[in-house]
Amino acid sequence: MPPLLQVSGLYKVFHGQSSVDGISFDMEQGRCVALLGPNGAGKTTTLRMLAGLMNPSRGRILFEGNPIGDNYRRQIGYLPQAPAFYNWMTGEEYILLASRLSGMGGKAAAGHAAAVLERMGLQDAARRRIGGYSGGMKQRLGLAQALVHSPRLLLLDEPVSALDPIGRREMMELLRDIGKETSVIFSTHVLHDAEEVCDDIIMMNKGRIAEHGTLTSLRAKYNRPVIILRVEEAEEARLWLETLQTRSFILESRLEADGSLLLKVDDIASARSVILREAAERAIPLLRFEAGTLSLEDVFMEAVGG
Amino acid sequence: MRNTWIFYRKEMLEMLRGYKLLWIPVVFMILGIMQPISAYYMPEILKMSGDVPPGLLESYTLPGAAEVMAKSLGQYGVIGLLVLALSAMNSFAGEREGGTAELVLARPLTPLAAASAKWLAQLTLLVLSLGLGAAGAGYYITLLIGPLPWSAAVSASALYGLWLMCAVSLTLLFSACLRAPAAAFLSLAAAGGLALLHTLLPRPLRWSPAALPKLSAEALLRQEYTSYAWVFPVLSGIALIVLCFLGASLLFDRNKLPRF
Ligand SMILES: Nc1ncnc2c1ncn2[C@@H]1O[C@H](COP(=O)(O)OP(=O)(O)O)[C@@H](O)[C@H]1O
Ligand SMILES: [Mg+2]
Repeated sequence: MPPLLQVSGLYKVFHGQSSVDGISFDMEQGRCVALLGPNGAGKTTTLRMLAGLMNPSRGRILFEGNPIGDNYRRQIGYLPQAPAFYNWMTGEEYILLASRLSGMGGKAAAGHAAAVLERMGLQDAARRRIGGYSGGMKQRLGLAQALVHSPRLLLLDEPVSALDPIGRREMMELLRDIGKETSVIFSTHVLHDAEEVCDDIIMMNKGRIAEHGTLTSLRAKYNRPVIILRVEEAEEARLWLETLQTRSFILESRLEADGSLLLKVDDIASARSVILREAAERAIPLLRFEAGTLSLEDVFMEAVGG
Repeated sequence: MRNTWIFYRKEMLEMLRGYKLLWIPVVFMILGIMQPISAYYMPEILKMSGDVPPGLLESYTLPGAAEVMAKSLGQYGVIGLLVLALSAMNSFAGEREGGTAELVLARPLTPLAAASAKWLAQLTLLVLSLGLGAAGAGYYITLLIGPLPWSAAVSASALYGLWLMCAVSLTLLFSACLRAPAAAFLSLAAAGGLALLHTLLPRPLRWSPAALPKLSAEALLRQEYTSYAWVFPVLSGIALIVLCFLGASLLFDRNKLPRF
């Protein structure tokens, strides 16, 4: 059984500039993959190639071992970054058009359309013109059209980025459910969103894959012990902090915006005992002492070289 | 095939909801009816405008039914063409720039099927508008002027319609790769240029689709006219339409997404 999706050596060049610069990854059936990267990383371009809307300049996309074609289009659902509908249609008419274009018969289309509109909370708006929908409703309609034909792979381009906090909340809840049922690739520039719904993360930057793995494996890989310290404003304490930064067990130190000091250390046990002992001996007015590991946010920043 | 039909129905619903299916036939009917009415009331109109040189009114003879019909059809050559080009210019360009194409073309709808649906929809609009316009003109001609040779009127309308369809096809072709205003402008310029070339060089270009309007008038005015002069213009017109259609499918395939 080949994996659901195999992407190998994918390039897209616009006017001599690579927007997607040789990415490769495999995706198993049933996984939820977040394509995480800052603006301009090449997420939209990648998803458009995966949706068959753009031909790669180079490279190959295989769906269950086969090149993508008309049969593939029947099995994917795609939600672009800024979906545009026929505003003169009603939500229901649009979903019916979408499902029929994807090969569903009249009866099945009507049943699925009603069900998916209800699931997206659009049953009351279904008979109204799309032109009068709010941004959140349009995004849910976009998700409805991507889901109506029960696709086996969902491609969602920044599905929550343009929404207000309430719309975001609703959308994230829907996404979490959908992620459990079907295979999903969704792009985002917000790490927190990726962590919330997905098991796998592909970090992209400047058209390349910077990191790829499951959430847990990425956390384990970047499992750098850190100690966070904060002291009261006092001359003696400040001097002590400065001397700390030069110790051999400290790999790197950084002063955070809130005045606390983040120390990356190699051996957390000895670092902890040294710091606590010295602080006690010198009666340093400690406000905060925390020993832990790097957050994924830091991993992301490190991976994209920010 | 199935998706062409589904998309065709969407196109027709769009024309209906945007009132195109109403106002374009109305414009064509007004244009068609104006000729017989103004020919019939010409003496009255002249009288009302005052100082008419004596003798002019007496010498005015009502033109023949076929002649008025030819003039009615001739009305569609400028305003009709403009209206059709303006209504077709958004056909592909609107979907591409607006982003609706990105959604429907991610489905199994091929650009070829989408283009077929758009062509059929424009053809429907044209047949409806021209049919109603010509029927309206014919009705007033028989009412006010005299009996009209109906079969000649039908073939004349068909010949004229083919020329209009050529112009619409050019608009659709340009719409598949350019923004809407540029598409309308270029297709009108191309149709105008063809027509102009044909008036300058009628003999070398007598096979071209630009000869169709003249042939349409001749079908009405010279009914005994039996030569097969229409064969090549009709064939070249159909060829132009097919080429535009294939070109548009290809271009739409490459230009599904908004331009950067
Ligand atoms: N159609 C296009 N023509 C030219 N350049 C493009 C086009 N689409 C995207 N790009 C460029 O490709 C890069 C990646 O864009 P995109 O895939 O939209 O990134 P993201 O979705 O991650 O923000 C950007 O630098 C963008 O300017
Ligand atoms: Mg993007």
